Amino acid sequence: MRRVEKLRTNIFDRYFGYIMCLPAIVLFTLFVIYPFLKGFYISLHRWDGLGEMEFIGFKNYSFAFADSTFWKTMGNTFKYALVTPILKNILGFALAMLFVQKLKGMSLLRVCTYIPYTFSYVVVGVLWCWIFNPTFGLLNGLLRALGLEGWIHGWLSDPKVALWAIVTVDVWKCMGFHAVLFMAGLQGIPQEYYEAAAIDGASSFQQFIHITIPQLNSTIVTSMLLAITGAFVNNYDVVNVMTAGGPYHSTEVGLIYIMNTAFQQNNMGKANAMSMILVACVMVFGFLQLKAMTRDENYE
Amino acid sequence: MNNLQKTAKRKKTIKGAFVYLLMAFFLVITIYPIIWMVSGSLKSESEFYSNIWGLPKNAQWKNYLDAWNKAGMGTKYLNSILTTGMVLCLLIPVNCCAAYALARVRFKHKGLILNYLLIGIMIPAGVLAMPAFTVVNEFGLVNTRIGLVLVYAAQAIAFGMYIMRGFFISLPRSLEEAAMLDGCSRFQSFIHVILPLAIPGLVTQVIFSGLSVWNEYIRASLIIREPGLQTLPLGMVSFATMENNNYPQMFAALSMATIPMIIVYLICQKAFQKGITAGAVKG
Repeated sequence: MRRVEKLRTNIFDRYFGYIMCLPAIVLFTLFVIYPFLKGFYISLHRWDGLGEMEFIGFKNYSFAFADSTFWKTMGNTFKYALVTPILKNILGFALAMLFVQKLKGMSLLRVCTYIPYTFSYVVVGVLWCWIFNPTFGLLNGLLRALGLEGWIHGWLSDPKVALWAIVTVDVWKCMGFHAVLFMAGLQGIPQEYYEAAAIDGASSFQQFIHITIPQLNSTIVTSMLLAITGAFVNNYDVVNVMTAGGPYHSTEVGLIYIMNTAFQQNNMGKANAMSMILVACVMVFGFLQLKAMTRDENYE
Repeated sequence: MNNLQKTAKRKKTIKGAFVYLLMAFFLVITIYPIIWMVSGSLKSESEFYSNIWGLPKNAQWKNYLDAWNKAGMGTKYLNSILTTGMVLCLLIPVNCCAAYALARVRFKHKGLILNYLLIGIMIPAGVLAMPAFTVVNEFGLVNTRIGLVLVYAAQAIAFGMYIMRGFFISLPRSLEEAAMLDGCSRFQSFIHVILPLAIPGLVTQVIFSGLSVWNEYIRASLIIREPGLQTLPLGMVSFATMENNNYPQMFAALSMATIPMIIVYLICQKAFQKGITAGAVKG
């Protein structure tokens, strides 16, 4: 009896590491790795989601590449995923530079600019639909009040500006988040660097270029990559709520087109093929992000 | 000298004025839309169109009651709370165990397992929404809360494990060694000695994963079809697309969806900001 128990603890101790990791590995494999493989498998077939699957090799990929709407939606995805992070980071950085000024009311600003980040994209999207509303929206109302009638647009119905209107919404939601990231970075720079530079006669602009930016290098990289990988996904929620991809596909991003292909055209094979192409694109940035996050990691 | 001091002083005032101007600008663009949402929710329908900018003349609290009933806010809230709670109950223990083993225990293939789980960071969960839906369908879990919970938890493992592992690595090793000399097993020392010290890390993870699950839309919209199981974001979308809807009611629904979150955030804003930056800055 005793021996059995001892044997049991021995086994538990010997395989302790594996046993502890097992639940995570199982869950991760079933709902992250398996879907990925399954998606690839389906992408090699013709399938309407219900009936028999028919193997057609890489044809779905060539269908996707020959589809001009797919190219357009991927173009929109990339425009969105590159412009949004740049704006978020520039404004976030500017905000962070404000945050570290020792002035009255600064903590109020810090708390407030962060509030939109706690909202879901859906809520933010619905709210901004009314801000952009052509007749009684805030934005056009403001332009009218300022006498800038020429700038008035149907922000979400004009194909030329709709995507950029949506970009604004995402930037509004997230700039406070990036500001907090940058503030943490700014506070980590030793004050002595600035003092030494000031003694040597460096202007505040020179200090900014030669101390602040290089010292924040890793924060900038992480913040940027985080925004890029996020933007590939977040665009779905906002676009879906605000324009559903219209007008004339001008705001249609990859994920929206994938969902339409799957559930309106019932073409699961092509939808999965496009998913795989999108995953491949995101993984390039995801890989860089992972590298940046684990850069000076010790593996024990 | 006097002149120099004067210019320096003037420069400072100009800088101060500029900084305050910028502050005011950012404050207005972040806060005004939110105030506008709340004030719009209290207007009558006719006032909503005629008085765009101002505060409501007499507050129509009835909008809230109507919106609450029409949007089924009670059910959506309950569903969001249940879903988020279940994800955290599943995710936190699973993650802590894996993170602890990968931070502290020596065993073969450890690096391999770590790298395997970290693949999750490279794939943002939403891009796999389509295939994940197919798999959930295959397991017969479409339109069930448990299907959604499993997908959420699994796709949050990589980030959470990364945060917790960083936290465990930072704790001194001598703690467990002392506990084990006192006769604790490895697992006991993990539960009784290490976990209590890791509470700040746990709080971080609860906020980080909790907020993203609470606000998630794309995967929920695929997996959940039944109105009775919808979470808040899904409920907001179906309310927004409902026929014969009126705007003040919509704003009331939006306010009800966001104000509790704002209050929670204001109460523990330090933990929030720390929790969310932890994903990006080293834990």
